[in-house]
Amino acid sequence: MSMYQVKPVCGGHMHVDLPTCMYNIPNIHAQPGPGSDHALQNGEVDPAVKALEARQDEIMRKLYELKAAVEGLAKTVTTPDADLDLTVSSSFSSQSPTTAAFRSPANLESLLGKDLGALRDIVINANPAEPPLTLFVIHGLLCQRYRLLSSVHVHSSVASVPPQLLSCLGPRHADSYARQLFQLGFTLIWKNVPKLQMKFSIQNMCPIEGEANVARFLFKLLSVYPSDPAQATLVDSWVDTAFFQLAEGEKWLCFLCSCKCPALVQVL
Amino acid sequence: MIKEEVQGATEEEQQAQSKKALKKQQKEAEKAAKKAEKQAKLAADQPTSEEDDFAKDRYGVPAMVQSQQKLDRTLVKVEDLTVAKADQLLWIRARVHTSRAKGKQCFLVLRQQQFNVQALVAVGDRASKQMVKFAANITKESIVDVEAVVRRVEQKIESCTQQDVELHIERIFVISQAEPRLPLQLDDAVRPDGDGEEEGRATVNQDTRLDNRVIDLRTTTSQAVFRLQSGVCQLFRDTLTNKGFVEIQTPKIISAASEGGANVFTVSYFKTSAYLAQSPQLYKQMCICADFDKVFCVGPVFRAEDSNTHRHLTEFVGLDIEMAFNYHYHEVIESITDTMVQIFKGLRDNFQTEIQTVNKQFPSEPFKFLEPTLRLEFQEAVAMLREAGVEMGDEEDLSTPNEKLLGRLVKEKYDTDFYVLDKYPLAVRPFYTMPDPSNPKYSNSYDMFMRGEEILSGAQRVHDAQLLTERATHHQIDLEKIKGYIDSFRYGAPPHGGGGIGLERVCMLYLGLHNVRQTSMFPRDPKRLTP
Repeated sequence: MSMYQVKPVCGGHMHVDLPTCMYNIPNIHAQPGPGSDHALQNGEVDPAVKALEARQDEIMRKLYELKAAVEGLAKTVTTPDADLDLTVSSSFSSQSPTTAAFRSPANLESLLGKDLGALRDIVINANPAEPPLTLFVIHGLLCQRYRLLSSVHVHSSVASVPPQLLSCLGPRHADSYARQLFQLGFTLIWKNVPKLQMKFSIQNMCPIEGEANVARFLFKLLSVYPSDPAQATLVDSWVDTAFFQLAEGEKWLCFLCSCKCPALVQVL
Repeated sequence: MIKEEVQGATEEEQQAQSKKALKKQQKEAEKAAKKAEKQAKLAADQPTSEEDDFAKDRYGVPAMVQSQQKLDRTLVKVEDLTVAKADQLLWIRARVHTSRAKGKQCFLVLRQQQFNVQALVAVGDRASKQMVKFAANITKESIVDVEAVVRRVEQKIESCTQQDVELHIERIFVISQAEPRLPLQLDDAVRPDGDGEEEGRATVNQDTRLDNRVIDLRTTTSQAVFRLQSGVCQLFRDTLTNKGFVEIQTPKIISAASEGGANVFTVSYFKTSAYLAQSPQLYKQMCICADFDKVFCVGPVFRAEDSNTHRHLTEFVGLDIEMAFNYHYHEVIESITDTMVQIFKGLRDNFQTEIQTVNKQFPSEPFKFLEPTLRLEFQEAVAMLREAGVEMGDEEDLSTPNEKLLGRLVKEKYDTDFYVLDKYPLAVRPFYTMPDPSNPKYSNSYDMFMRGEEILSGAQRVHDAQLLTERATHHQIDLEKIKGYIDSFRYGAPPHGGGGIGLERVCMLYLGLHNVRQTSMFPRDPKRLTP
């Protein structure tokens, strides 16, 4: 070797007291056995990792069962006459989802407060980098339901916005010069915000954050949420799953592409 | 004084006296000797100091600049003194902000408008001791011509705007000397109010500033404020000209009060009297009837209101707009709000240096706005105020505290400092306001607010002579006095509307300042007529 030698600074073998709260796993950096290299290259997973995954699945299943049990308990506490058999599937099979939607008319006053004789304006602050696509769908449904005054503004914190985002709520209503002719206002402001935000009554309501939560609130204007708490929770969990998948899906797609083809990432 | 004559004293006394006298004489002699010594020393020094002043022609107070000769010398701006000019020998004309001697060196801070730079005179082969002493004795605010080499510095000079360089002076001449006692210190005038109270250092109160306006306007903050104001005026003109508006000049000496009559200044006009115009309203409308279609004017407005508030002046600069529209007065509102938004954008994009300079002394939140501008209706505002606990009637005008509260509520909900309130009740608007066609209790009129304070009042005007007469009668106005005004609409007048803003108030609110006198160069109010 052409490098210079340095005398060892510390002793060769040190005695280390291993703590007892940790668990042992075999040393993956140690000299490999005769066949393990080939096993990994074939795409098979190391058995230790498999065991870990199995344990995780087991824990998740237990958690889910606990959750169902707690929900059942909650219902027995609130409605003493209810049937104790509360597996989620049974309560669900009785109704088909399509008839549940738009079944009972929503009461604007109960949701948005007393009518004070003026336009009730819902303000939504969204980041132009992440347009809230679900809200555009809900906006379309709200237009069918109510006399809705929609307007789009650009906040001074944003330099400019592509023209498609300015006309995302459709053309301007012919009567938009008279705000009091409308039941409901839908004001979308493109602003430099970290998370989607909805404001309505600043005296009585705090701002609602997150596209999922805003969607839930606006949906209540169209139809009543299922009264059965188990069903309501299931719908909630669907909404959450959908939003997480949407968010994660984009990121997962980007990660996959960057691994396989860096050039593709540049194109994206 | 030695008592030389002693009359009727005894011999002993005489002897004692003479002893005293002797002692006194001795003391006098000692004093004289010391004095002589000093003088001798000075005399000895002087020839040497005269000999040593090799830099005599590199400093001094030259003759007053009476245009004796036309020098082709380039004077570099302090703003341009950066590392790019390192090691160059340049001439600069600036004011002496401070000068401080330290042994063989004198440190000066030279200031020019918003910028300042550190400069140094050091005893060496270019400067003598006398020159350093001269530099240290230059009074503050004197204007000096300096020839210096620009040198890079290792450590940034935090207290100056030009932080990377300093000047090594080779020649320094005082072009205009300032009197040693200044009525106010510029450093005090720029100090933020909170700091002054805490550390016991002074700040200057407003009356002192306004009494010595020439010096107060030299501060970096004032320079920034008025440059921004100039920008507002410039953007107003440019935006409107691009939209096809024509600039007009309207008379300020008028025969009849236009707005109401109570708040006009009277001037003697030969054998009769006349009034100073409260607004160019009448003449703007006449221009529209004369087919100019879209006009604007920039000029003084005189209001004899005995209001000593933070936002009223008796004379201010009015920026007024009037335009004919096709079918709906909202075309006018859109035009005006678009102009305002263009002004705000222009200030945000091109005047950041000035905004930051003002914020150093008067910190405030940056100005936020929406595009297109938010338009709320009066009924919505009443609903918002009632929700917040205010009790008010449907047709009641908004009081100033209610306006401020509404501004805060709108800021909270929509996050904007600028919005329009439309459809005011007819009862609280002037007689020439067009009533709402669908609801006689309301009118086609609007106010615009910045940071919760009103900056513009406008409306669709009545362009029909008959309706105008009815409205005037309803408001119990003497028709004879406004005959000329009504006559302008008898020969075909297009539907039109407009509004006017005050330049000083808009600047004050944009920067988040609290007194309109800070944005008026030489303000006029019921208590102030000079400078």
